[in-house]
Amino acid sequence: MYYKFSGFTQKLTGSAPATAYNPQGLRSGLPAESPTMIFATPTKVVSEAGATAEYMGANKVPDLQKVFQTSDGIPVHLKRGYPDRLLYRTTMALTIGGVAYCLVALYIAAQPNRK
Amino acid sequence: MAHQAHAYHMVDPSPWPLTGAVAALLMTSGLAIWMHFHNTTLMTLGLILLLLTMYQWWRDIIREGTFQGHHTPPVQKGLRYGMILFITSEVFFFLGFFWAFYHSSLVPTPELGGCWPPTGITPLDPFEVPLLNTAVLLASGVTVTWAHHSIMEGHRKEAIQSLALTILLGFYFTFLQAMEYYEAPFTIADGVYGSTFFVATGFHGLHVIIGSTFLAVCLLRQVQYHFTSEHHFGFEAAAWYWHFVDVVWLFLYISIYWWGS
Repeated sequence: MYYKFSGFTQKLTGSAPATAYNPQGLRSGLPAESPTMIFATPTKVVSEAGATAEYMGANKVPDLQKVFQTSDGIPVHLKRGYPDRLLYRTTMALTIGGVAYCLVALYIAAQPNRK
Repeated sequence: MAHQAHAYHMVDPSPWPLTGAVAALLMTSGLAIWMHFHNTTLMTLGLILLLLTMYQWWRDIIREGTFQGHHTPPVQKGLRYGMILFITSEVFFFLGFFWAFYHSSLVPTPELGGCWPPTGITPLDPFEVPLLNTAVLLASGVTVTWAHHSIMEGHRKEAIQSLALTILLGFYFTFLQAMEYYEAPFTIADGVYGSTFFVATGFHGLHVIIGSTFLAVCLLRQVQYHFTSEHHFGFEAAAWYWHFVDVVWLFLYISIYWWGS
């Protein structure tokens, strides 16, 4: 019985011998194992980065990772501070206002037709 | 995250399920109010709330995955199952409309003239714009696969260009379909032919718009370096959805446009 790793179910499944000996992801120069899981990337100073040309803007992900991984107990939907709070409060205002408006509208709609 | 002894994701408390549920309430009640009192305020409020909820909920998922590292392999597996199950539910949704079409078209009633297309209906020529639409969607399936391979191989510029091309093809399809809707010699009110045609193709068109939006978000994320060659599930989910949309069109084309003409 020959096996391959199914990228779809993330499990080993049966396969033909040819596939078992020629895994799809195996390419020379590429490591056979996936890289170690990173929960917090250290930020990289620009002078340490390689001399690669920028295409459509610089990579801001490491900086954003630092911002979002600060241990301040703030939930993710408010982590960016002012813009998040503004949007959250607007949404909540519309939610509560909307429920009230809805109940009033349904109450009026439920009144019998006065002719 | 650094303090848990497991690889799963315990999500921060979030208000978006509540706001989403309220949006559903406002949209449905708003629909009833619109039908009875000709007032669209409540429904519009619901729609705005829905858009706000979707934006903030998915923004938070991106933050949790890309910036906080919560999408470990077991978490990603769960997301994969979730997307597959969602697409499966959509398949069943469309199955219903295909059932309705075949129910009416396989045994056309005397009221329709006992034939399909019914008497008086001039169907669209399947070998004109509908065939072009088929080619456009098939091509977009190729370009999205090209984009996937580019991402996996770390070719940033190619990935951006092929993904942008996919989205453009999606817009082209929508534009062509809109033109067809405008020029069609029959309407949704033209008996069961009109109903089955416009409801089935209409919901498909809505899904094309949703799929194009999903891909556009992926394009923005790709430009902002969110995707790595190993980890880009958001893109894969968008690509799966796009292939689903393409397959539904093929069934629509074969059944309604070609066989049904």
